[in-house]
Amino acid sequence: MAYDDYLDGEKVIVTAALTGGVHGKEANPNLPETPEEIGEAAAECEAAGAAVVHLHARRDSGERSFDRDRFQAITEAVRSRTNLVIQHSTGGTGATLEARRQSLRTDPAPEMASLDMGPLNRYRHLTSENTRGMVDSLYDEMVERGIKPELEVFNDGHLNEVAALLDRRDLADPVYTTLIFGGGTTSPPSPRNLLNATENLPEGALFNTLGFGRHQLPLTTMGILLGGHVRVGLEDNVYYGPDQLAESNAQLVARTAGLAETLGREPATPDEARDILGL
Amino acid sequence: MPDVCPYLEYRQLEAETESGDAADAQPRAYCNAAEEFVQAMRADICNGRYGLDHETDCEIYREAEGLPEGVESEGGGGD
Ligand code: SF4
Repeated sequence: MAYDDYLDGEKVIVTAALTGGVHGKEANPNLPETPEEIGEAAAECEAAGAAVVHLHARRDSGERSFDRDRFQAITEAVRSRTNLVIQHSTGGTGATLEARRQSLRTDPAPEMASLDMGPLNRYRHLTSENTRGMVDSLYDEMVERGIKPELEVFNDGHLNEVAALLDRRDLADPVYTTLIFGGGTTSPPSPRNLLNATENLPEGALFNTLGFGRHQLPLTTMGILLGGHVRVGLEDNVYYGPDQLAESNAQLVARTAGLAETLGREPATPDEARDILGL
Repeated sequence: MPDVCPYLEYRQLEAETESGDAADAQPRAYCNAAEEFVQAMRADICNGRYGLDHETDCEIYREAEGLPEGVESEGGGGD
């Protein structure tokens, strides 16, 4: 994907990352946590222009859950209200591989699932390991269940890991990556680094741009101009503006969908996203 | 299996109390050392889930207990 795709007016897939696994209502009381709240938030995001919804599960206390039944309740809450492409997270700092597989086992399986391409640091003493063995195991179960992986690239080294995964496994076209920018182990957030990452993608790969916090708006806008797709939502950014908490996931989606339209690229519908992603 | 952290308490989030729907809301993880609510992911350390342990994995606990900042093992490795 490149600037030519922007000039050609290719449609933009807007992914809404509603909940995440890191922070909760203590960071923004509008962040959805229960299946009901997540279902409602997903419906609002679809109406605002999202085509894909990225889902994590939470316990009633707002803490992380890797329970298959909890993912089942969430997926049903979203499916009953929307036509969105459902993407389950398989991320999970500290959690076992067996726990992280659970989100792949809903009935029906999610159309997509995230696949973290390598390690990343958390707090002072934690690392999300994401060893190559773990990546392969999660990927193999995705293939078995007909789930398309979304390859999460937290930094440029993970682009090497994408290439290595393509050597080890036979990924279906188009390869779909998410380029992530922020603090810590993620790529330093700058326009140059986004541009650079897009130039290091495998031939034919699509990309989605994810910027944490205040980098969400500028870097996703740049992603639109570079012919890519975008991800926004309270998982990645709880603010709408400086010191202004976002009112909802849909508020962030609506701004991005409006920007894409202004810049000459229409947001894709869920079915158009399915075509683009080869689902 | 690691224990639950002694600084962990469950209490109602102020935002939910303010919005008046506290009756439906579940109590949430609160850290008495940091005097703030705990992020969803850190609550796994507080509760000792997935083999995580406040004594080794939580810098807030280590500071509150006057333990040294780092828990890295001594010695080599050039990577
Ligand atoms: S944040 Fe750390 S010190 Fe506080 S309750 Fe959790 S583990 Fe204990």
